[in-house]
Amino acid sequence: MFLTRSEYDRGVNTFSPEGRLFQVEYAIEAIKLGSTAIGICTSEGVVLAVEKRITSSLMEPTTVEKIVEIDKHIGCAVSGLMADSRTMIDRARIECQNHWFIYNEKMSVESAAQAVSNLAIQFGDSDDDGGAMSRPFGVAILFAGCDEKGPQLFHMDPSGTFVQFEAKAIGSGSEGAQQSLQEVYHKSMTLKEALNAVLTILKQVMEEKLSSTNVEVMTMTPKQLFHMFSKDEVEEVIKDIA
Amino acid sequence: MSLNGLADCRTYEGTKIPSFVPYADNGGSVIAIAGDDFALLASDTRLSSGFSIYTREQRKLFRLSDTTVLGCSGCWCDTLTLARILEARMQMYLHEHQKPMSTPAVAQMLSTMLYYKRFFPYYVSNVLAGLDEEGKGCVYCYDPVGHCQKVAFNAKGSAGALLQPLLDNQIGYENMDNVTSEPIHIEKAMALLKDAFISAAERDIYTGDSIFINIITKDGIQEEKFTLRRD
Amino acid sequence: MSIMSYNGGAIVAMKGKNCVAIAADKRFGIQAQTLALDFQKIFEMGPHLFIGLPGLATDTQTVHQRLKFRLNLYELKENRHINPKTFAAMVSNLLYERRFGPYFIEPIIAGLDPKTFEPYVCNMDLIGCPNEPEDFVVGGTCTEQLYGMCETLWEPDLEPDDLFETISQALISAVDRDAISGWGAVVHIIEKDKITTKSLKTRMD
Repeated sequence: MFLTRSEYDRGVNTFSPEGRLFQVEYAIEAIKLGSTAIGICTSEGVVLAVEKRITSSLMEPTTVEKIVEIDKHIGCAVSGLMADSRTMIDRARIECQNHWFIYNEKMSVESAAQAVSNLAIQFGDSDDDGGAMSRPFGVAILFAGCDEKGPQLFHMDPSGTFVQFEAKAIGSGSEGAQQSLQEVYHKSMTLKEALNAVLTILKQVMEEKLSSTNVEVMTMTPKQLFHMFSKDEVEEVIKDIA
Repeated sequence: MSLNGLADCRTYEGTKIPSFVPYADNGGSVIAIAGDDFALLASDTRLSSGFSIYTREQRKLFRLSDTTVLGCSGCWCDTLTLARILEARMQMYLHEHQKPMSTPAVAQMLSTMLYYKRFFPYYVSNVLAGLDEEGKGCVYCYDPVGHCQKVAFNAKGSAGALLQPLLDNQIGYENMDNVTSEPIHIEKAMALLKDAFISAAERDIYTGDSIFINIITKDGIQEEKFTLRRD
Repeated sequence: MSIMSYNGGAIVAMKGKNCVAIAADKRFGIQAQTLALDFQKIFEMGPHLFIGLPGLATDTQTVHQRLKFRLNLYELKENRHINPKTFAAMVSNLLYERRFGPYFIEPIIAGLDPKTFEPYVCNMDLIGCPNEPEDFVVGGTCTEQLYGMCETLWEPDLEPDDLFETISQALISAVDRDAISGWGAVVHIIEKDKITTKSLKTRMD
């Protein structure tokens, strides 16, 4: 299959005769190797959960950070190349602070996603001095945030395309997880239900046994805003779904 | 020292160095008053330079959105440029964020725009009036390099010093015992505005001819004209 | 910074119905530093005559003393109280003698005519050019603020009580917008058979 794509899959800014950008498609493939991240948006708030792959018992699990705070009202979960994700998170944080500095107001979740998208599609600008990457980012991001429109969940892939979702899974287990989300999601879900659902699904798709050391959980609510779950809080939820 | 162009020459050890002054003072005064559910912004219409009057009908109020109006006085060319850049920036914001800018957001942006020209400032005194997200009246006043303050009322421009203590007295009820300061009523604010400008036109040669008053409420912006002395 | 605003201070005088009022702040300072809160800038020069001397504080006191000297001589020679208009001419003359090295004060005179009790107010520039308007005169470091206040608050034929209220509000509101005036104020209301002197409390910052 890959052999048929020869020649046109080298340049990031060259379309194939069928009108495809292979490097971007490969980048999207790369996400499917990444760890699973799941998000559900309810009327009460957004829940994000990710699995952390602890590949060695000598590893310090807390240093694997896959859910981060962008601003007090925006958090995000990433899957794919972690190093690439740092660049994008940095940009998102800068854009949020810059927005606050200029307008003295919170940046909307959509605008934050748009700002990161602008960075993600810069890979083609080869004559750009320095700033742009020579390849697409190998990262998919889930943005969870609360602004004047209420709680929202956005998904962005390496092409820079971003779409709003009610529930979305990314990473290696995303296919199965998305299927399960389809089944459990309903519009009147409470935050608690979403929290349980996210972890139940994550438990199903994870290869290792789910524990408080190998998952990260975050909620984004209009009142509490960004809240990262402590080890104890995660254990509590795991107990609930057992 | 003249504020215009190449008018001045400094003598320095016998050699003459023509000095260039990039600013002009075109006068004009602005008053803004914030009420509970409205904001008033008024400016005179005289545009002058030194002892000559350029025009008697120059509006100095800029309607930036349905809820925000900017009033300017100072160097007129700077005022025009600043207002146009502001309008452009607001349009860009509308497209980027799919929503019109709120008055507090415009207020903060204006502050940063002014400060970005900290060492070659826009020679403009700005007063921004409008309604905030909750529909309450708000007034922001600025210095030329971006200091921004949210106030209940303010007077700026060539007659600012004449008008401000009057507003302190009549709206702020400063130094008055046995007075409960209640939110100002729109009729009182309008009457005070006119009285204040009549007084300013008596003593300030850069203020006069007429005033335009913008009344900003949730139903939109209304404009009223009022004639002052023309000498 | 101008020498006229080295010490700071504000004085205003207003005509009323058969009365005049003159008011001043009490601050004495050197530029931004306040040194005293009881500095006298208004001086009684006769039964119905006051003069306010805003400007450089040392000249306030010198000019007051030199005026007192000339006024005493006048009263001894003429054996009568001076007419405010005559007094204004005397002040003007004294100031113009120093045409090229002036005293840095801009006097304000308020009084009633000794015979007709006609109200009179007058102010001058530092070399003695007189100005005798029908309403009010202002002087000191916050003239702009005072003009704005007086122009709206003043009206013709104010009774003594109303005149007191008007001049007080005008002065206090004006000095509150001037960093080098304020720190208390004094008001004199001059009527035919009564002179009322009141001290005003103001904000002290």
